Parts: sequence; C-alpha cells; structure tokens
Amino acid sequence: MTSSEIVLRARDVKKSYRIARRELPILHGCDLELARGERLALMGPSGAGKSTFLHVLGLLDRPTAGSVEIDGDDAWRLPLEGRARLRNERLGFVFQFYHLVAELTALENVLLPAMIRWNSFTFDSKKAELQERARGLLGRFGLQERLKHRPPQLSGGERQRVALARALFHDPPILIADEPTGNLDRETGEKVLELLFEEQARRQLSLLLVTHDERLAARCERVARMDAGRIHNGLRG
Amino acid sequence: MNETGEFGAGMRPEALLELALALGGFALFAALVVGLAYLIMRVLFLAVPAPAVVRFLSWRYLIHRPTNLIGVVGIFLGVGALIMILSIMTGFLDQTRKSMRGSLSDLMLILRASDRRRPFDAEKILEVVRADPRVAAASAHLSWPCFITRQGGNSMFMLSDPQLSRNAFVQLAGIDVDDEKSATEFHASLVRPPIYGESVADPRNPFAPPPEYDATVGMPRASVIVGDQLFDAHRLRRGDFITLIIPVRDEQSEYGFAAKEREFVVAGSFRSSENEMDLERVYLDRGQLARFMAGANEDDPLPAKATSVSQVLIKLHDYERDGDATAEELLDKLRDSGVVDGNCLLVTWEQFRGSLLGAIENERVLLGIMLSLVLLVACFTVFAILSMMVSEKRRDIGILTALGATPRLSLLVFLAIGFWDALIGAILGACTGVVLAIKIDGIERWLSDALDVQIFNRAVYIFDTIPSVVEVLPVTAIVLGAFLCTLLFAAIPAWRAASLDPVDALRNE
Repeated sequence: MTSSEIVLRARDVKKSYRIARRELPILHGCDLELARGERLALMGPSGAGKSTFLHVLGLLDRPTAGSVEIDGDDAWRLPLEGRARLRNERLGFVFQFYHLVAELTALENVLLPAMIRWNSFTFDSKKAELQERARGLLGRFGLQERLKHRPPQLSGGERQRVALARALFHDPPILIADEPTGNLDRETGEKVLELLFEEQARRQLSLLLVTHDERLAARCERVARMDAGRIHNGLRG
Repeated sequence: MNETGEFGAGMRPEALLELALALGGFALFAALVVGLAYLIMRVLFLAVPAPAVVRFLSWRYLIHRPTNLIGVVGIFLGVGALIMILSIMTGFLDQTRKSMRGSLSDLMLILRASDRRRPFDAEKILEVVRADPRVAAASAHLSWPCFITRQGGNSMFMLSDPQLSRNAFVQLAGIDVDDEKSATEFHASLVRPPIYGESVADPRNPFAPPPEYDATVGMPRASVIVGDQLFDAHRLRRGDFITLIIPVRDEQSEYGFAAKEREFVVAGSFRSSENEMDLERVYLDRGQLARFMAGANEDDPLPAKATSVSQVLIKLHDYERDGDATAEELLDKLRDSGVVDGNCLLVTWEQFRGSLLGAIENERVLLGIMLSLVLLVACFTVFAILSMMVSEKRRDIGILTALGATPRLSLLVFLAIGFWDALIGAILGACTGVVLAIKIDGIERWLSDALDVQIFNRAVYIFDTIPSVVEVLPVTAIVLGAFLCTLLFAAIPAWRAASLDPVDALRNE
C-alpha cells in the first residue's frame, strides 16, 4: 500500500489542557495512519486519551502540536469553514450514545448532514431525491417502519442504526466510530456491528473503531493501542 | 360595578356562548398567524443563504418546546396592550383637544386693558379680521366676572365649584349668537343632551324667553344660558329668575369699584365639551352685558363709552396650514389699522391651552414608556427561555458541529427561534391590539352587559363612546421595536450557543 492511499494521517499530535495554571498533557506525540478501506481498531484503558485523540482526528478539538492530514490536506491549517466542510463531506461519526436530535424523526436525523451542507433553496430542490436515499438507507438497516419515529420512540439498537445511517448518508471515505456498541446489549451490539462492517466493506470505507472489546478488535485488520497518551502500532508497516 | 355600585350576579349564559365563539375565533386567527409565519419562513429562507438546517431545526424547536410559547405570548400581550392603550390614550387626547378647542375657536384676540380710555370698537376689529381671506368666521366676546344669587334673595348662596363647596366668581360671556355659532362649538353645546340641566327651547334663538316665562310679568327682559353643572349646583329650572352681581369701576368708591346687580331669566342650560366651562360659565347677549356693565337699561341704546368687547374668537378655513402665520400677520394688521394697541395679544388656541395640552401629551408618553416595560419583560422572557434552551441543547450543538456545522450556524439556529417568537408575537399582538382598539367601545359595552358591571362611566366624560385612534406610525414603531428588541435579547444566548466548545457539548451526557 502506498502513502497516497493513506486517507488519514496524524503526525506527532500533542494535546494538553491548562487547568489551574498548570499544563496537563493528555497526548504525548501520537502518530497514526489509516489507509483507504482499512479497518483499524484503537484500544486502550479508560483515561488513555482515546476520546481526546478521536476529537483531534475528527477536527473537533485543536491539537496543541502536530498535524492531521485528511486526503493529504493539513486539516488544522484550514480555516473554520474549510474544516467544517471536511467534517461534513469526508468524515462520518458514530458515537457511543447515538447523539440523535430528539425533536427530529429518524428520517430527518439522517438528512441532517444534507441540511447542513445545502441552503434551503438547494435542499428543497433536492429534497425528494435526498429523502429517497435516506429512506433506502434506513430500509436497508431494517428501519423502514420507523422513519417517522423520534429517538425517544426507538430502542437503543434502532437509534444506533439511525446514527450509522446518518454517518453514511454522504458516503464519506472515513468513518470514526467511538465505542458504537458500548451502550448496547451483546446481541443488539452484534447486529449493529454486522451492519457497520458490511457497509464498511461494501463502500470500501476507512474505519477507525475505538473499542474496549478484544473480540471486536480482532475483527479489524490492524489494532493500535493507546496508553497514557501514547500510541503503539499507529503507523502502517 | 353597576350603577348602584354593586357587582353583578354573574355572566349571562348567552354571553358565555359569545365569549366561547370569540375565543374560538381568536384561536383560529392565531393558527392562521402561525401558518403565515411558516410561509414567511419558507419564502425568507429561500432568499437567505443560510443552511437549510437553520430553518428546519429552529422551527422544530419552536413547535416542540412549549416554553417558547411563553415568549410568544409575552410579546403578543406586550405589543397588543401597548397598541390598544396608546390608541385609546391618543383617542382621549384627541377628544380632549377637540373639547378644549370647542369653546375657543382657532385664534383668540385678547384685548388687554391698557391706559387708553377709549373702549375697543368690536365692529371695526371684526371688519379687519374678516377681511383676511384665511378667516372663516369671527365672534366678539365680552367676558366679565360675576356672582349668582337665586331668586328670593335672603338665602343667597354664591358658588361656582360645588365639588369643593367654595364660593367663587363665575364668568359671564357676552356673545352675538350667530357669530358665536359660526366661530365656535356654541351651537353643539346647546343641542348636546344635558346631564343635569334643561336645554334651551329653541337653539336657533337661544336667548328667547323660555316657554315657562310669564311674559305678562314684563321683567326681567333678558335671558341667560347657564352651564350644565352650574345649573345643577344652583338647583335651577328653565324659566327661573336669577340675580347676577358684577363689579364695575367706580372712582368715587373707597375701593375703586362698586357692585351692580340685575335679574335675568334662565333660558336653559348648555353642555360644552369642558367640565370647567359647564361649571363656571353663563352666556348672555353681548349687548345686554355691555348695558348691564354700563348701567343702562335692557332696552336703552348702548352708551358710547361702554365696554363691548374683551376678546375676539377667530375661526380659520385651514388652521393646521395657516394657524401660526395668521396669528402673527393678523395682529400686525390690527395694530397697523389702529383698532388695537400694543397690549393686545393674538394667540392660537394651542398656545392658550399649551400647559394643559403638554400635560396630557406627557401622560401619554409616560404611559407609553411604562407599557414598554411590559415588552421589555417579554423580551427578557425570550432571553431566559433561549438561555435555558441553549443549556439543554448543548449536545445538539455538538452533534451539529460534528456533522459539519460552523459556530455561525449554531448562532443562526437560536437567533431564528427568537425571530419566530418575535414574528408570531408581534403579528398576533399588532392585529389583536388594532382590533381591540377599534372595537373597544363595543367590547366594553358587551363586557358591561355580560358581567352586569359598569366598566366605563360615560357620564364622567363628554364623549359617549370610548375614544380610540389607531395611528399607523406608532403601531409600526411598536411592532418594529418589539421585533428588534426581541432579536437583540435572542442574540445573547445565540452567541453563547456559537461559542460553546463542541467537545464539551458532546461529552454532555
């Protein structure tokens, strides 16, 4: 695999927080590479800095030092709008706690990335096509009867499937999943994982999966381990 | 309370039905306004280059969060109350201005006492005044203070202010009926139904002896018309005799003046648009007053040196356009022609009543300021509700950011909620306020009837309906003010939403 196939690269990422005039380092120079279509598991104990690293990679939290490249672009050097566009078009997020908007139906939640990307005029002109895509995606995830349901009316597994549909709606090349089954029972978690891996394989997505589950990590092509703000086996090769 | 001062037994069953229908109509109207706001939103956002999620999510938050209704209702009540009360206050001010002007006409020439011994010549003054093409009519007045005593003498009481039981002078106003009718609201005061008194028998010839007058008695020969309240204070009846006592100059007297008295017959009462006038004024023929003051008999020719005029009331064709200029130029003309001297004044009725008009206008402004506080509270409610919502929706803000939203988008979502609050509240409030202001008299009558309670006591005022004037400019200013104020207050929590750290927001479980 050549370096041009690397879609996500973190170089010497450091992050520290200033608390009560003291610098509290969280990440001590983390390196990570994710190739196109690769399935990478990131493991580590609680407090190792996984979530912080994920937020830096997801362009939500600026690193103190280091760089994050997405398709070769140094993302943290881009202006605010540029980073927002990257998050919208190139990254898909799946969170442990689903993070759906309670006031919106399942269908509307899936359409959120499109509503953020386009203005009202464009969105309205594409609405029928977009809704059809969202319906198709939710239908494939077994939620065709739940399109008009709001998150509080859905089970945990259904909510996570809606969240997965939302993350995949724009067909992003990179999917970041933060303990996607952490809040589900084993059986439901399995079903969600099956969907996740199936879509990842079908779409040739680059998947970065944060998990505590060794069995789940074993199903990934590569496992990077994080401990006390340092990453082992983050680079390919 | 009803007229006896007691509250009614309760609401009539038909009134309950009418109330239910009115409330149903209002609910339908409110639904229409919400629909209208939605349409405005759709159209507006087609033109605004904001992401579709702003329109979509702000409307959804608005509809799904009942607390937002509090903000909408607050703005609705504030705008509605402000428009309704200001319109009624404007109506009151308008009516008061009319009533204050009624007895005065547009301009007033005040012939002040000077060193000259020669009395003013009313005819010559009127000739110069009427020669001005801007003048529509003019009427000479002779005003003089007097005391009133009732026929029968021994139990004499003199008063002009029954509310304070205080003895005081009343004002005799000598007028020429036809001139007075064309220059002032005199005729209207004769035909307006009296509250306490008795109208004159023939308003076309008001100083004619009343039907109750026994002509065979032969005395007195002249009539007076008494203000409605003064009529009541003296327990007068049409055809009664009263004695007027006036002070006149007497250089041989120790005090420089002496008293003269003469008996008059009461031809009836008048009801002007001013409480004070009805309490203090007595009309009689100008020539009769001049003769009385000069000591001549009723049928005698007017003595050459008799004072026959003290003011001239002037009505213009277009007061708004010519009032100030005419007042200035006409006085110069009168002085140049030598019929008046430098001591005389020519003022507009507004200058004459300036302090009172200013006081009423001040009241209106003060009421406006106080009611604006209601709006301010409503805006603060919107601020409080949106601040709470931003705290509750921290996670949503994080989700939107993760999905590609910028802080500007988060700001717009919450600003748009304030926008809908302001739009719906202001439209609803403006429409309701205008309808209530226009229909206030009917509403008051309906409520009084339904509750058997007298809400507006018409006997206290000279107008029989609750006055209300809806002006476009103040209504527009109130609606725009409420709208901008709400947006300003909504901008603070919206800015807070924009400055939230998305990572903190996503951790918020």
